[in-house]
Amino acid sequence: MSRIIDRGLEEQSVLLTRMAELTYETLALSIQGYLKGKSVAPEVKEMSAMLVAMADRVEDKTFELIARFQPVASDLRTIKSYMKIGNDFARYGRYSLDISYISDQVNGLKECETWVKVYIQEMSEKVLYMVRISIDSLRRHDMTLAKTITQTEQEVDKMYLDYLDKLIKEDQTNSKCVLSSALMTRYLERIADHATYVCESIVYIATGEKITLT
Amino acid sequence: MNLNAWFGQKQALKDINLSIKTNSVTAIIGPSGCGKSTYIRTLNRMHELVPNAKISGQVLLDGQDIYASNMDPVMVRRRVGMVFQKPNPFPTMSIYDNVAAGLRLTGANKGKNLDEVVRKSLEQVTLWDEVKDDLKKPGTSISGGQQQRLCIARAIAMQPEVILMDEPCSALDPIATAKIERLVVELKRNYTVVIVTHNMQQASRVSDFTSFFYLGALVEFGETKGIFENPKNPLTEKYITGEFG
Repeated sequence: MSRIIDRGLEEQSVLLTRMAELTYETLALSIQGYLKGKSVAPEVKEMSAMLVAMADRVEDKTFELIARFQPVASDLRTIKSYMKIGNDFARYGRYSLDISYISDQVNGLKECETWVKVYIQEMSEKVLYMVRISIDSLRRHDMTLAKTITQTEQEVDKMYLDYLDKLIKEDQTNSKCVLSSALMTRYLERIADHATYVCESIVYIATGEKITLT
Repeated sequence: MNLNAWFGQKQALKDINLSIKTNSVTAIIGPSGCGKSTYIRTLNRMHELVPNAKISGQVLLDGQDIYASNMDPVMVRRRVGMVFQKPNPFPTMSIYDNVAAGLRLTGANKGKNLDEVVRKSLEQVTLWDEVKDDLKKPGTSISGGQQQRLCIARAIAMQPEVILMDEPCSALDPIATAKIERLVVELKRNYTVVIVTHNMQQASRVSDFTSFFYLGALVEFGETKGIFENPKNPLTEKYITGEFG
C-alpha cells in the first residue's frame, strides 16, 4: 500500500516533468529564432510566463507537502530539490526570453561574421544537449547520467571565456554583433549552469550529498 | 557497552553500544517492540524490577558501571530519574508533597530548605506560576499536561544527572505536548535527557542525537539532523519515511 505522501510526490513529479518539456521547447525555440534571425518573442514570452506559473505551483506544492506530511530523509530531499529544480526551469524560461529579446532588438547574428555564427551555433548545441541531460536525469532519477554533465559544462565555460577573449583581441568593430553575441554567449553559459544545478539536485536526492558538477 | 537484556528466555536487547553525550537530548525511536523502553529502563536499573528479567554488559555513568556490585540501585535511580508515559503523581499527595516526596523518602533533604527546592523544581518546569496558590491541592487535581510537568519537577527535585523520559507526551494534547517539548530542550542545560518517542517529528524537534532501534538492535545512531535528512541505513530510511509494513 502506498503512503499518503506518495500521491503528493507523484503530483509534484508530474508537474515538474511537464515543466521540463516546456522548458526545452522554449529554449530550443528562442535559440533557433536567434540563429535564424526569426522573431519568436511573443511565443517565448507566453511560454516563459507559463514556466513561472508552473514554478509557483511546484513551490506551493512543496509548502503543502511540508506542512501536511513533515517529510524526512529522501522524501524531504526530493521535495526540496523539486522546488529548486522548478526555479532552475523558470530561469531557463527567463533566459529564453532574454535571447528572443536580443534577437529582435540587435538583429541576432545577422551582422556577424561567419565564424561567430558557427561558434554560437556550436555553443548552443552543447547547451541544449546539457539541458536534455538535466531533463532526462530528472525523469529517470538517473544519477549516473546526471554526473556526465560535467564535461560539457566545462567545455561551455571555456567557450564563453574564449569568446570574450576573441572579442577583445580581434578588435571587433560591429557593435551590434559584439553586443548581441556577447549577451548570447553569456545567457548560454548561465543556462548551462542551471542545467548543472539540476543534475546536482538529482545526485542530492539520491545520496544526500551536495556535490559540485562543474 | 555490549548491553543485552532479556525477559525470561526472550532477548529484548542485543549487544547495544551507545554513548550518550552529557547535556544533550538523545531520542530513541523505533517500532513497537523494538526494545527502546527496555533500553532506557536498563539505564536506571528499572529493568531488573521485572520478574525473570536480566541483563549483561555495562551501563557506565561517569565511568562507573551502575550494575557493579557496590552500586546501590536506589542511589542509581536518584542520579538517573525517570518520567513515564502517563502522568503518575502520587494520588494521595498534594502538589507540594509530590515534588518533595523523593527528597523525604531518601533523606536527601537534610540541610536543605524544602520549600525552596519545591519552588525551584516547579519553576524549572514552568509550573510554579500555575500552581503556587494551590500547592496543597491533590497532585491529581491539575490537568494532564500539568501533572506530567509535576512528575518532571518531582524527578528534578532529586537533582539527577540524567532524566529518562518514556513517551512523556503520548497521553497529552498538542498544547501540553508543546510545553513539555520546550521544557525538554530547556532541561538539557542542566541535565542529560534521553527520550523515547513514537513521534518522529517530536524526536526531530527536541533531540540533538537520535538512535533507531529495530528488533532489539541499535541500527543507527547519529546527530538528529543527519538521521532525518540523510540516514545511512536503509532500515532507518524506511522507518522514518513510513515505508515499514
